Amino acid sequence: MQITCRIILLIVAILSSAVASAQTQSLRHIIDDSLRSTQGELSVNSAPLVDDYGFVRRVYLDLTGRIPSTAQLIEFVNDQHADKRELLVDKLLASPEYARTMQYAFDVMFMERLPKKHISPEAFQKYLKDAFATNKPYDALVKEMLSADGANPEQRPASRFLLDREIKREETVRAIGRVFLGRDLQCAQCHDHPNVDDYLQQHYFGVAAFLQRSYLFTDPKSKVVSIGDKVEGDVKFTSVFTGEESQTQPRILDLSEIKDPDAEEEPYEVKPDSKNRGVPKYTRRLQLAPAMISSENSAFRQNIVNRIWAMYMGQGFVEPLDMFHEENAPTHPELLTSIADDFMAHKYDVKYLVKELVLTKTYQLESEVVQVGDAGRVLYLNASIKPLSPEQFAWSLMQAVGVVDQTRRTALEAAKQENADFDESSLSGQTLLEEKIHTALKPKVNLIVKVFAASNAASRFDASANHALYLLNGPEVAEWLSMGKELLLDSLLKTDNDKEMIEQSYLACYSRLPSAEELKLASEFISQHGASREEVLRELVRTLLCSAEFRFNK
Amino acid sequence: MTKRRNSGCNALEHHVTRRHFMGTGAMAGAMAGFGSLLTPAMAGEMKSKQKQILQVYLQGGVSQFESWDCKPGTKYGGPFRPISTSVPGMQICELLPYTAQKMHLLSVVRSINLETDDHTVGRLFMEKGRKNGDYPFVGAVASKYLTAADNPLPGYVHITTRGIVDQTAGFLGSKHEMMRLEGVKPPTNLERPKDLKPELAVRAESLRQQLNKQFGGKRSRALIDSYDTSFEQAQQLMARADLFEKQDEKELDRYGKHWFGRRCLLARTLLEQGVTCVKVTHHGYDTHAENFNFHVEQLDEFDKTFATLLGDIEERGMLDNVLVVIYSEFGRTPKVNHKYGRDHWGKSFSIALGGCGIQPGGVVGATNADGTEVSDREVDGAHLFHTYMQAVGIDSQSNHSLDGRAVPIGDPVAAPIKELLA
Repeated sequence: MQITCRIILLIVAILSSAVASAQTQSLRHIIDDSLRSTQGELSVNSAPLVDDYGFVRRVYLDLTGRIPSTAQLIEFVNDQHADKRELLVDKLLASPEYARTMQYAFDVMFMERLPKKHISPEAFQKYLKDAFATNKPYDALVKEMLSADGANPEQRPASRFLLDREIKREETVRAIGRVFLGRDLQCAQCHDHPNVDDYLQQHYFGVAAFLQRSYLFTDPKSKVVSIGDKVEGDVKFTSVFTGEESQTQPRILDLSEIKDPDAEEEPYEVKPDSKNRGVPKYTRRLQLAPAMISSENSAFRQNIVNRIWAMYMGQGFVEPLDMFHEENAPTHPELLTSIADDFMAHKYDVKYLVKELVLTKTYQLESEVVQVGDAGRVLYLNASIKPLSPEQFAWSLMQAVGVVDQTRRTALEAAKQENADFDESSLSGQTLLEEKIHTALKPKVNLIVKVFAASNAASRFDASANHALYLLNGPEVAEWLSMGKELLLDSLLKTDNDKEMIEQSYLACYSRLPSAEELKLASEFISQHGASREEVLRELVRTLLCSAEFRFNK
Repeated sequence: MTKRRNSGCNALEHHVTRRHFMGTGAMAGAMAGFGSLLTPAMAGEMKSKQKQILQVYLQGGVSQFESWDCKPGTKYGGPFRPISTSVPGMQICELLPYTAQKMHLLSVVRSINLETDDHTVGRLFMEKGRKNGDYPFVGAVASKYLTAADNPLPGYVHITTRGIVDQTAGFLGSKHEMMRLEGVKPPTNLERPKDLKPELAVRAESLRQQLNKQFGGKRSRALIDSYDTSFEQAQQLMARADLFEKQDEKELDRYGKHWFGRRCLLARTLLEQGVTCVKVTHHGYDTHAENFNFHVEQLDEFDKTFATLLGDIEERGMLDNVLVVIYSEFGRTPKVNHKYGRDHWGKSFSIALGGCGIQPGGVVGATNADGTEVSDREVDGAHLFHTYMQAVGIDSQSNHSLDGRAVPIGDPVAAPIKELLA
C-alpha cells in the first residue's frame, strides 16, 4: 500500500514538473512554478540543487534544530531510495526534535525572550512543544493563547502571551500587531504612523479596545494573578494632528467594528470586586481570538505564512517581518496569497506547510549566489544563507564536539535501567530520550543563548566581540575540546592519518568532506612544528567552529 | 489629510523659551578670540576629530537639592548650603566643592520632568530619549554614527558593577551593544586558553580568515562580513589587554583609590584610546533613608574624582570633542520621609553637561521656590537626547535608515535644547 502510494506520488511529481501548470498541483510545485515564472528567462540560471551532504545538514538544522551527527549524515548519503529526501523530511517531522525546535522558534516569536512575570516560561515552552508534537492547528493555538485568562490551571501556560505582558496596552497591542498581524502599530498609538500611511490610530486603538476592559486580578488567598474583565470602558483617542477625538469599538485593522450586544439587566456572571475576578456575560476580550483567526482577516494567515516562509527560505516576502504595508509590498504578492489561502484550506496544518516548503526545489537550491549579468539580485535563483538561531547554534556546537552523542549514550543507559523494555525506536522511547538529553544539556543551552541572543529579539543575526571571545576563549568550548572525555578530540586522535583526521573534523563540523584544496590547507595547519598533535588538532576544530560556515545554515 | 505625513511631528516642536546664561559673556568673548586665530585648515581638522561621549551615571537618583538645584532655607531645602562656583552668579551645593571650581566647563539643566518615579522607566527614558519602545541608547547611537570604520575598539563601553542588563543597541545590532566591564576588570573571556601557544593562535586566526574567504566568496557578504568583524574586534581587544592592566599609582592618588576613582581613571584611558562612548556608573544614590548622610558620603567620593577627570579631559585638549553628561534616572522627593530619606522623584530634577560645543556656564530652566515642580523651560528625556546628539554632530531630527523603514533618531515630538548648543 505504502509503496503504491509512493509510486503514485512519484508519477504525480514527474507529471507535474513536466506539465508546467497542472490543475491539482501540490503546493511545492505551485511555489516553484510561480517563482520560476516571475524570474522569466533568468530562471535558466538557477543554481543547481544542493548535494546530499548539503541537504541533510540544511534540513536537520531547520527541522531538528541542530546539525546531523556524522552517523546520520552517512546513513542518508548512502541511502539508495529515489525519494530519500522526502523520506528524511517525514522522519524528521515525526521526531520529538521537530517539536522542540518549533517550541524554541515560536517561543521567541511570541514572547521575544521576555523575563518571567506570572507564568513560568518552562510551562509555556512545554505547552508549545506539546502543540507542535501533536501538530495542533496554528489557528487553534493562537485562539487558546489569546483567550486564556490564567484562571483555569490547565490553560494557564497558554495565558503567558497576555499575562506576562500584564495586558499593558503599549506592550500587548504592539505585540499583537507585530506577532499576529505583521504590523508594528507602535507609533500609531500617539498619531497616525509618521512613516507609514496605512498604520492608522484606529488600527492601534481597535486592537486596544478588545483589552480595554480587562485587568489583572490577584486572588486574595492564593495570590495567583489572572485576567478579569469588566463591562465598561471605551477607547477614545485624540489625533495629535487634527486634535479630533475619535472612538472605536474592537476591530482588527479595517474589518468592521464588533458591536457589543444589547446590555442585559445583569451583565455579569461574576461581579468584579476585591475577592472575585470579574466575569461578564459578554466579554470583549474573548472576541479577539475569533476575530483574529477569522477567514475575513487575511492579515493573520499572510503574516504567519510570511514568518514560516522566512524561517526556511531565509527571507520573508515582506521584510522586516512586522512591516506589512502598502509601500512595503510583498516581493511576490500573489504567491504569498495563494500559500496563505492554501494553509487556511489545510486547516492551518503546520507540518503540511513545512513539508511542502522544504520539498520545493527553491528550498533545495545551493546557496552560492548566482550572478546574472547586470540583472542585479534575482530572488530565489539560489538559496539564502541563514544565521543559526542561538538555540540552533548551541545544539550544533554540542553536536559537533560530541557532547550530544555522549549525553545520548548516558541517557539511553539510564532509560534502559529504568525500564528493561525500553524501545528507543518507538516514538514514546524517542520522546523520553529527547527529554532526558534536553534536560541534561539545557543549562549549557541557556548559557550560550545568553551570550548569542540578539540585542533586538526581532533581528535574526547579531555579531559582537563578546560572541567571538566566547568561542575563542570561553570555558565550555575549551572543556569540550579537551581529551579524555569521550568527545570529538578523542575519536579524532584514534588515527594518525592526517587525511582521515581532517575528513572526520569536516564531517563533524561542516557535515561534508573537504575539497582537495581544503585538505591541503588543513594538512599544512596540523603538520606544523612547535606544537603537539593534540594542540594543533584542537585548534583546527576550534577554528572550524569559529568560521562562518559553522555559524550559518548554508 | 496630506499634511499628515510631511508636517509630521515637527509641527509640535517646542518653542524655545527664555534662557538664563550667567557669566558666559567673558567666556564667549574668549572663545570667539580663539576661534579667529584658527586657520581654516586647523578648524577643519578639529571638526573632523571623532566626537566622543563620557556619561557619568549616578545610579539610583542623586538628589537635585543636594547637588545642582539648592533651595536653602525653604521647606524642603535640607541642611546644606549653596556655594559659589567658577561661574559668577552660579551656585551649587556645598557637597560639590571641587566640581564647583569646574562649572565654567559645564551647564546645568534644572527643569527635567519625566513624569515617572520608576527606576527602569526613568533610566530608559534618559538613555533612549523615548519613554517606551525598543530604541537604542545614547551610547549605541554614538557607537553607530561616530565610530570610524577602522576603529578596532568597541564603540560603547560601560564600567559598572551591578547586574542591570538592558538591551542597549535595539535595532542597531550587537556591534553597537554596550560592552559591560565589571569595574576595572577586563571583559569576559578576554584571556586566551592558558595552554594555547601564541604562534598557534596567530595561525588559527589566519586559517579562520582563509576559511571565511572561501565560504564567503560566492555567498552574500553582508552577514559574513559582520561575523568577521566580531572576530576582528575580539582580536583587537585581546591585543589591548594592557588597557585593563594595573593602574598607575600616582594617577590613582589623584583620582582616589576607591573603586569610583579606579573606574574614572579607566574611563579616561578608554576615551584617550578612542572608545566612542564611555559610561561610568557610580552606584548608591537611592537614598530612601538617611538621604543627607548618604549624600555626604557619596558626593564626597564623586566630587573630587569627577573634577579630576573633567580637568584631565580639558587639559588634554579633549573637551572640545568629548560631551560630558552627569545624570540620574530621576531626582529625589522634596518631602523628607520619616527615615530622613528622600524618595523617587521624576517631576522636577537636574542634570549637568558640558564639552563638545555645549554652551558652558549656563543654567537652563528652573523649579519653583520649594522645588516641587518645574517653573520654567520644562524638558524631558527626549529633549536631552536630541541635545546630546546635536552636540556630537548627529542630526537627531533625521532618520535611522533600516532596511525599508525610516525611524526618527530622536523623538519627533521633542527638539534639542537650542540654548545649550553653540
